[in-house]
Amino acid sequence: MLRYVAKRLLLLVPVLIGLSILVFAYVRALPGGPAIALLGERATQESVEAINRELGLDQPIFVQYLRYAGNLIQGDFGSSVLSRRPVVEELLDRFPATVELGFAAILFAVLAGVPLGFIAAKRYQGVLDNASLVASLIGISFPVFFLALIMKYIFAVRLGWLPSIGRLDITRSLEHPTNFYLLDAVIVGDWAAFVDVVKHLLMPAIALGTIPLAIIARITRAATLDVLSEDYVRTARAKGLTTAVIDRRHILKNSLLPVVTVIGLQTGLLLTGAILTETVFAWPGVGTWMLNAINNRDYAVLQGGIVFFAFLVVVVNLLVDVSYAFLNPRIRYQ
Amino acid sequence: MSIAEAEAAQLSVEQPSGLWSDAWRRVRRNPAAWVGAGLLLFFVICAVFAPLLAPYGPQETVGSLAAVPPGPTAEYPFGLDEQGRDVLSRVIYGARLSLLVGLVSVAIGLSLGLVLGAVSGYFGGRVDGVIMRFMDLMLSIPGFLLAIGLVTLLGRGLFQIMFAIGITTVPIFARLLRGSILAQREADYVLAARSVGTPGFRLLTVHILPNSIAPVIVQATLAMATAIIDVAGLSFLGLGPNDPSLPEWGKFLAENAARLQNSAHLVFFPGFAVVFSVLAFNLLGDALREAIDPKLRA
Repeated sequence: MLRYVAKRLLLLVPVLIGLSILVFAYVRALPGGPAIALLGERATQESVEAINRELGLDQPIFVQYLRYAGNLIQGDFGSSVLSRRPVVEELLDRFPATVELGFAAILFAVLAGVPLGFIAAKRYQGVLDNASLVASLIGISFPVFFLALIMKYIFAVRLGWLPSIGRLDITRSLEHPTNFYLLDAVIVGDWAAFVDVVKHLLMPAIALGTIPLAIIARITRAATLDVLSEDYVRTARAKGLTTAVIDRRHILKNSLLPVVTVIGLQTGLLLTGAILTETVFAWPGVGTWMLNAINNRDYAVLQGGIVFFAFLVVVVNLLVDVSYAFLNPRIRYQ
Repeated sequence: MSIAEAEAAQLSVEQPSGLWSDAWRRVRRNPAAWVGAGLLLFFVICAVFAPLLAPYGPQETVGSLAAVPPGPTAEYPFGLDEQGRDVLSRVIYGARLSLLVGLVSVAIGLSLGLVLGAVSGYFGGRVDGVIMRFMDLMLSIPGFLLAIGLVTLLGRGLFQIMFAIGITTVPIFARLLRGSILAQREADYVLAARSVGTPGFRLLTVHILPNSIAPVIVQATLAMATAIIDVAGLSFLGLGPNDPSLPEWGKFLAENAARLQNSAHLVFFPGFAVVFSVLAFNLLGDALREAIDPKLRA
C-alpha cells in the first residue's frame, strides 16, 4: 500500500512539470497582457514597455520559463501583478474560504443524498422513489448561479433571514489564525461569530451542494439496488438478523464504494461550481480570485493557481483510490 | 396450400424484436420521455417561429427607460427590462441562441469524438494508447474550466464559444464509442462478417458503428443540456457571446443579477427558460438511457 502511494506520488513529478509548461504557454498565449490590463487599451507604447520590462516580460520566452521554473522549485510562485502581494500569500487567504465552502457543500450533499438514495432504493418504484428521481433530474437542470440567485432572493431579500454576501458580517471582528473561519471562531471561542459564519455559509453551501446532492442520491440508489439482490443480504436475512443491522452492516456499507468515487469526481465540479457560486455571494475564495486573474491577465496568479489546483485534483483522486482499499478489503494495490 | 401452411399463417408468430424497436417501445411507455419531448418541442417551436410568436422584436423598445422596470402586467406578461424592451419577446428569441449553441457545440464535440473513438477502438495498439492518454488528460480538467480557458484564449465570438464548449465533450464521446466498439469487435456477427471477407472500413461503418452508437446518442442528448448550462454560465461570468444584440438567457440574467431586489422578473424568466430547456434534454436523455441500457432496468 505504502509503495503504491509512493509510486503514485512519484508519477506526479512529470505530470506537474508538463503541466507547468502547458500553463505557462497558455497564459502567454492569451490575447492582451498584464500591461494592457493595468493601463487600459489606450496606454502608450512606452508605458507598456516599461511595465513589461519591470515584470521581465521583455525577455525571450524560454528565459522567462526557466526563471519561473527555478522560482517554483524554491516554492516561490511569484507576485500578483495587480496587488503586488506574493501569490502564495494570496492563496493562503483565499484557499481556506473555498475549502470551507466546498466541505460544507459536500457535507450537505452527502448527509442529504445518501439517506435519500438509500430510502429510494428500499422503496423501489414507490412514490418516494419516483419523486426523488424526478427531483434529482430537476436538481441537475438548475444552473448553479441561478439557484444561488433564487435562494438569495428568497432568504436574503424577501425574508431577510440570511446574509447575502461575504463570509462574515463586516461589523464583526474575528481573529484569523487559520483563515478557516469556522475553525477560527472555535479557536478564539467566539460563539456569536461562529453562528454568524454558519449563517453566511448556509446559502452558498446549499447552492453549490445541490448538483452533487442529486448525483450522490442517484448513485446511492443504484448501488443500493445492486447490493439488495446480493446473496449475502439474503443469507443475513435468513439467519434472522434485524432489518436495521442488515441495512447498516450489509447493505449501506457495501453500497458506499461508488459513492466515494463520485465524491472524488466532484472535486473538479465543485471547483468550477465555486467560481459561479462565489461570484453570486461575493465569497472571497479562489474562484473569484482566478476569475479576476483571467480578466486582469495576472500571469503569476493564473500560473500558480492552475498548477496548484491540478495538484489538488490529483491528490484527491489518490486519496479516493486509497480509501477504496479501506472500504473494500478485496481491493489491494500492487 | 397445405394444412400445415394454413395453420402456420394463423399462428401469431411474434416478430423478432431488435434493439431499436425494443428501445422505442420502452421510450414510448416512459412518461418522462413524453414530458421531455413535449418541453423540447415547445422550445423548438419558440426558436423556429420566434418572429411570429414574440409580440415584439428582441431589441424593440416598447416602454420607457426605467431604473426600476415594471414587472409582469396583462400587456407585458413577463414585464419590461430597464431599456423598456419586452422580456417575453427577448426570452422567446433567446431560445434560438441556446438551442443553436447546444446543437452546434454537441455536433462539433460529437464529430471529433466519434472519429477519435472509432480510430482508437478499431485500430487499438499504440494509436489507441496515445489518443486515450490525451483524452484522459482532457477529462482531468473540469469541462467548464476548460471552456473558460478556451474562450479566454480564442475570444468571445459565438462560434468560438460553441467550439470551446464542444471541445469539452470530445473525450466523453471518444471514450464512450471506443468502449462500445471494443465490446462489439469480438462479437460473433463481426467475426461472421469478417469471415465472408467484408473489408475493414465497411466492417466498421456498416456492422460495428450502428451497434455501438446507442450510448453515444444518449450522451449527446445529455451533452446538449450541459452545453446550454455552460453557455449560460459563461455569460454569467461575462465570458458569453460579445454581440450585445444577442438575447442570450444567461447574459440577460447576469446583466440583471444586481436588480434582483426590485426587479426579480428580469432574473427569473430567463433563468427558468434555461432550467426548462435543460430539463427537457435531461428527461429525454434519461429516458433514452433507460430504454437502451438493459442493465438499468429492473
